Amino acid sequence: MDALVQILFFVVLLILGYFWGRYFEKRHYKSILRREKKTLNIPIVNFGAKQSLIDVQEAALFAGSVVISIDYFKMISAAFRNLVGGRVTVYESLLDRGRREALLRMKEDAIKWGANQILNVRLETATIGGSSGNNSGPGSIEVIAYGTGVK
Amino acid sequence: MKYIPKKIPEGINVTSRHPLLNFAYLLGTVVAVSIFIFVVLGFVAEWLVIRVSPETETQIGDMLVQPALDKEITDDKRIQYIEELLNSLLIPGETTRLPLQVHLINNDVINAAITVGGHVLVHTALLETVKSENELALVLGHELGHFQAHDPLKSLGRSLVFLTVSSILGVGMSQSGGLPKIIPLTSELTNLNYSRIQERAADIYGFNRVVKHYGHGGHSLDFFERLAKGESKLQKVSQYFLTHPLSQDRINDLNAEAAKQGWKMEEEVTPLPQWLHCSNMKPCEQAE
Repeated sequence: MDALVQILFFVVLLILGYFWGRYFEKRHYKSILRREKKTLNIPIVNFGAKQSLIDVQEAALFAGSVVISIDYFKMISAAFRNLVGGRVTVYESLLDRGRREALLRMKEDAIKWGANQILNVRLETATIGGSSGNNSGPGSIEVIAYGTGVK
Repeated sequence: MKYIPKKIPEGINVTSRHPLLNFAYLLGTVVAVSIFIFVVLGFVAEWLVIRVSPETETQIGDMLVQPALDKEITDDKRIQYIEELLNSLLIPGETTRLPLQVHLINNDVINAAITVGGHVLVHTALLETVKSENELALVLGHELGHFQAHDPLKSLGRSLVFLTVSSILGVGMSQSGGLPKIIPLTSELTNLNYSRIQERAADIYGFNRVVKHYGHGGHSLDFFERLAKGESKLQKVSQYFLTHPLSQDRINDLNAEAAKQGWKMEEEVTPLPQWLHCSNMKPCEQAE
């Protein structure tokens, strides 16, 4: 009986995680695609670290960061994957969303300031909670994008 | 250099595999492998464990039985009676690898068990519930069957494997929340299935010895029949009897065995000694 309750709990969480996760992911991708199209006219490049910059009047640092949590379904899938080995495909979309969202936030901020391009763009990630700490709850990922906006 | 905005291509960094398909594959693999490992290691453990020397078994048994002896009744004539009944079930020439020790436990849960090292635990509630010696003999014969088949040792070996495997898996998954529950569960189910086979074997063994001892199998099944029908006055039937397949199936199996072997089932009942439910078998007030 105890085992049955545990299984039921697990399955309910799994189903909830799957549908909620799918719903939010789809919604997020929709928003990402729309905004990427809108900001496509401003180039973002990662060159500029040790090169002499083009002639600009003004330059400023812009950073965009986003924190995305995994859902229960992804967590369990990945935990199984840990045992079996191979590509953790469920996390790929999570990281993809994180990178693109962080870039978009940086870009939108720079556009507001009036940048006509963003140079020396870098991406960094960090994990929050979950496997990074000692607690075994679901983890989150932070993606930070930063670059030099020029005009 | 002029910048010409181009459409960003999709799906470079995301594998287009359906997450449910991926999950089904992973779940199937993990469950299949964990069952396989458990079964294989379980057999290895059983193979090893029946090679344990009697001295080691005594040592293990003494350690394991200690917590169960909390409410042990010592210096009671009933212990001697049960011991004699138990030993009378062995057919001449048959020996046990260790001397069997009967422990009478003051407990109102109907139960009898045998543990590693030949410790037979009999709860007082069992003595209050059985109505004839034949019934008691079958229960004791069943436990004897477990002992002779090394069942307590085997199940100890299996639990050790189970603990080891799950703790190894648990280490690998300490970061994964509620997952570990699934893996222990699959092995638990296999374990239950396995123990049913052992139960049946022990039933047949016990029944066989009862028939050999009394010359017939009559009345020995009455206790199980009463339990199966829920007629026992004491409703606190232990988990032990509930998880054992004592349903009508078990009784039918034994009846079928009797028919096959041509054992007589309708014979005189051997009564229990008077006052078996009382301490030291001296008359007591306690009504049955």
